[in-house]
Amino acid sequence: MGYPYSHTSEVPIISEYFGDPEARTLDGWKARGGYQGLQKALEMSPDNVVELVKASGLRGRGGAGFPTGLKWSFMPKTKDKPHYLLCNADESEPGTFKDRELMRWVPHQLIEGCLIGAYAMGAEHVYIYCRGEFFEATQVLAKAVEDAYEAGIIGDDVLGSGKKIEVTVHAGAGAYICGEETGLMSSLEGDRGEPRVKPPFPAAVGAFGMPTTINNVETLAVIPHIIKNGGEWYRQWGSDKSPGTKLFCVSGHVNRPGNYELPLGFPLKDLIYDVCGGMIGDRALKAVIPGGSSVPLLSAEEAENCALCYEGVVEAGSMLGCASVIVMDETTDIVHQVTRMASFYAHESCGQCTPCREGTAWVTTILQRIEDGRGTEDDLDTLVELTEQMTGTTICVLSDSVAAPVQSSIEKFRGEYLALIRRGERVGAA
Amino acid sequence: MSEIPFKNPGWAGNVGEYDLTEEQVRGIDFVGIRPLEGGHPGGSPTYPYMLEEKDPDAPLFEGPYAIRFEKMLTRYPTKQAALLPALNLAQEIRGHVSAETMDRVGSLLGLSSAFVRGVATFYTMYNKRPVGRHFVQVCTNISCNLSGAEDVLDAFLEHTKSEIGETSANGAFTVIEAECLAGCGFPTCVQINSRYYENVTVDEVPRIIAHLRDNAAEAASPASEE
Amino acid sequence: MAKKTKQIEEPAVDLVTLTIDGQEVRVPHGTTLLQAAEGAGTEVPHYCYHPGLSSPAMCRLCLVEVEGAPKLLPSCTTTAAEGQVVRTQSDPATRMRRGVLEFYLLNHPLDCPICDQSGECELQDYVFAEGREHGRGRDAKRVLGRDDFGGDVLFYGDRCVMCTRCVRFMSEVEEKPLLTVVDRGNRAVIDTFFDQGLEQAEWAGNVVDICPVGALVSKDFLYKARAWDLKHTDSVCPNCSQGCNIELHTRDNLVHRIKPRTNPEVNGHWMCDYGRGRYEWLNRGDRLEAPVVNLEGRNRAMGWKPALEALKARIEALGDRSVKAVVSPFWSNEDIGEVTRLVDALGGGSVTFRSPRADDEVSLAGYEGLARRKDLAPNTQGAELLGCVRVGDDAGQGGLDDLADHDGVLLVLGDALDDVPDVVAPNAALVVYLGAYTSSALSEVDFHFPVTTFAEQEGTFTNHAGRVQRFWPALSGPGTARPAWLVLGALMGALQNAEGPSRADHAFGLVAKAVKSYKGMNYETIGAQGTPSQARETVSGD
Repeated sequence: MGYPYSHTSEVPIISEYFGDPEARTLDGWKARGGYQGLQKALEMSPDNVVELVKASGLRGRGGAGFPTGLKWSFMPKTKDKPHYLLCNADESEPGTFKDRELMRWVPHQLIEGCLIGAYAMGAEHVYIYCRGEFFEATQVLAKAVEDAYEAGIIGDDVLGSGKKIEVTVHAGAGAYICGEETGLMSSLEGDRGEPRVKPPFPAAVGAFGMPTTINNVETLAVIPHIIKNGGEWYRQWGSDKSPGTKLFCVSGHVNRPGNYELPLGFPLKDLIYDVCGGMIGDRALKAVIPGGSSVPLLSAEEAENCALCYEGVVEAGSMLGCASVIVMDETTDIVHQVTRMASFYAHESCGQCTPCREGTAWVTTILQRIEDGRGTEDDLDTLVELTEQMTGTTICVLSDSVAAPVQSSIEKFRGEYLALIRRGERVGAA
Repeated sequence: MSEIPFKNPGWAGNVGEYDLTEEQVRGIDFVGIRPLEGGHPGGSPTYPYMLEEKDPDAPLFEGPYAIRFEKMLTRYPTKQAALLPALNLAQEIRGHVSAETMDRVGSLLGLSSAFVRGVATFYTMYNKRPVGRHFVQVCTNISCNLSGAEDVLDAFLEHTKSEIGETSANGAFTVIEAECLAGCGFPTCVQINSRYYENVTVDEVPRIIAHLRDNAAEAASPASEE
Repeated sequence: MAKKTKQIEEPAVDLVTLTIDGQEVRVPHGTTLLQAAEGAGTEVPHYCYHPGLSSPAMCRLCLVEVEGAPKLLPSCTTTAAEGQVVRTQSDPATRMRRGVLEFYLLNHPLDCPICDQSGECELQDYVFAEGREHGRGRDAKRVLGRDDFGGDVLFYGDRCVMCTRCVRFMSEVEEKPLLTVVDRGNRAVIDTFFDQGLEQAEWAGNVVDICPVGALVSKDFLYKARAWDLKHTDSVCPNCSQGCNIELHTRDNLVHRIKPRTNPEVNGHWMCDYGRGRYEWLNRGDRLEAPVVNLEGRNRAMGWKPALEALKARIEALGDRSVKAVVSPFWSNEDIGEVTRLVDALGGGSVTFRSPRADDEVSLAGYEGLARRKDLAPNTQGAELLGCVRVGDDAGQGGLDDLADHDGVLLVLGDALDDVPDVVAPNAALVVYLGAYTSSALSEVDFHFPVTTFAEQEGTFTNHAGRVQRFWPALSGPGTARPAWLVLGALMGALQNAEGPSRADHAFGLVAKAVKSYKGMNYETIGAQGTPSQARETVSGD
């Protein structure tokens, strides 16, 4: 269920036990149907498990939306080298807070998904890379892993199947870029978390040089349910291109911020005004970021006509990303918020690629200058051009991510920038 | 702010419709006291505590920590992969990662000191200098910013009488800005040592600080005693 | 061993055909687009790529347009595929480079007037060719200052383009990860482990070579000369028997620095700090400048003709005498070859040499077959193949006690006999010295002939593995100094009423006749990269 508020529109599949403290215990999880999916998967052939996931149409929930079954099928079928499954629990995208809930309320759901994935791809070791700041959630997960080992669910003889799968819970140390799949691999290997050029792709040369698949926490959390109930079952929600449900993390100026599990395609308007109880103080909607700070802003009008699925958000002029909906009302100082987002990227850039290393800091400096009242109209054109130069020219898309808020805000809220530049006018309390 | 009823047990974040205690939200009872020697090796590379009592001269690694370190080494195909867990563990004990710590961890893992320095300085969480007993990290990124995070930050600076990034005169507090802590639905999200304080408003700040002063042992996550 | 992938002339398996800038190119399977473009005559701008290092594709300068690909692709890591159409000069590619170069220049200090790299700087070159005319940055630049990394290396942080070639060289090639990137984002900077510096490194000078800009510079070379004033001459390092291929960079007839020259068979792209730092001896001013003949107890300078005539007369007057010779392994095969030829012509005798040796070898861990050898002379192997015998100790001293009683002819080439306390061979009937410098031991010899060092003549050295390598003259010898092979050849010609070799390749031809292992070799077959002989192992060790 939604946490900390639920709503009748929800379809709680992976969030059903949010807020239920018993669900994190092993017995509690089993009593709630846990590990039946794993049991079933172990009775199928690994290839059939992959096919089932393909049939469900599940797309990666970490932001890229790549079809999960297809990703799993890239792993080599020969087992002459160790295969690894990495669970990306390095949740750092501003606006996103779903993976923490999944880890601390239903850790066994995640473990089950990891084990099924490992089995399907011939991986004997799963690393769950948790962001370093998640002390509490990581310990819940570590304890759950320990309980699962003790019960023979993880280890040399998974559920008595004779299969061997190890799970290691690994903590990071504070770097957004380690949420990028190749950055995560670099970090796991004990290096600076610097992303790597693709090709080679992780399924060919990944962690420790071995075939590797990286999946987001939410993606893996869905897996046990798909195995239990079938691929077609999952497709009863959502659209053809975006099947199933998604955890939407809503934050900002709404009355009931929190996580809600809704079918993909759900109207953004209803999410704000119905599910989340509308805007605080009934103030007017100004802008919405539908998918975390790395996607373009939507104006109020675009937001109110947007369907929350991968293709729907693209049509509205942005991207679904990780479905972190940040709602901004009329009191929001857009320039200030965009500047803060730019400074986030400048802080988190790994520094390898020059357009990103220099560009994120430059963009931030220009925006800060504008905010300080020392900007010029040329600066706006420069910002657009610089962010163009930062798009499609780097190893990873952190550089492209700066372009999204900067370009979309200049396009859609140019008046606000100009008012600040020309007359020093700022919008009310941020 | 929202007018909908709001329950925030122990700063565990708004529990909204749910009737939950702080322990239940955080999973404190479930986790219990994590053993210093790391429990099952599968969980040994995690970083359970940011202790208030730090010992910058503590040896690396002795006693139960040595056992935990050995467990970590068994989980990876290379020694180098244990670098982040080892640095995490060293910081848990010593409170920050000094040059000597980098050197020592490097020699334990067969890595050059320069390499360890490169890794340690890449990650935000490795403190390059000692920090106060309570390391206050206030998220000011967009979701929390929209809900007044910068005022919360100012309030912390004011009430701890410290400059941003600098430790207060009595050594009790260091306050910094943090990037998104993934508690966006519970603005403003503040991390103090290992624990999240959620839905923090400006009014709450003095109470939190008093709470930290009065309940020092409790304020850290399930504290461990040797 | 880093082998340069070239376009293959002879038929080979697995070729791939693609089009680069409208030109059809055929390359072996596995070649990158950057290498393929190089083969087609196009240099794609790049920083982080280096043929001797890994390719992280992070500088983003080598991105090219590949038809059908949604984004520009890094040519240093993209493999050439059959039928690819690649454009390096198209609008998207040039616009991209212009954009990326703008980011490089944002914080780059306008140091050109005071930067050593000026004139050989890849940022200058690329920006001049394709960069924006005016910068758009209006804010203060980041300032990092200068950091002494120890040894010969200075680091100017502001100029760094973060290509990390230096970090990767230390880690992958010297296998001593002493350099790292500290911090991240635009706070990132290259550094060592605090004050540790590069003290332990023995190949650190290479990072100065591979730094594309003036961030890493040589302290020794700092402010000495402008790159465009330097003449580059292909040569061979004289400081040990590895025989690293080098360039001598000279100006005003002085060597200002040594740089390695690529040779996949010998030293790859690298050379050691020991060798690199030892060139001052080539600039010594205390040189013999004219033939000096000792007549009636007085040393008289004279021209070559009268001096050689006098020597010829003396030799003929002496008739049959025992002959000894002392040579130096710092002189060429051609020079030593003429000594042995002369000794044979005079009836034969022992030819010895002294040479310095170190206790240890300093190998480059990440490059097989490359080390600063224990043998600290460049042509020991050459001398031994010509029948010379090493005497003396590892300091290159001693071993000449037999000269005290020698009453015949003594011929000395190169060895300045600094350790001999008194006059050398006091009982000898005739002492002829051909050398670059003099010493007290030579104050009463009969003939001093000024000869050129290897840096002042054409010739060959034979390295520890028996490889014969050519070098060319980078300096002009002082006064009327001449190559020893020319002098001795003229002498022999005079004695035998024939012509001596008038060119270095003729002199080498004589050597090739005398040394079985050099069968079939000549200057053309040796070329600029040298050639292995049949002598694979050193005789007296490495």
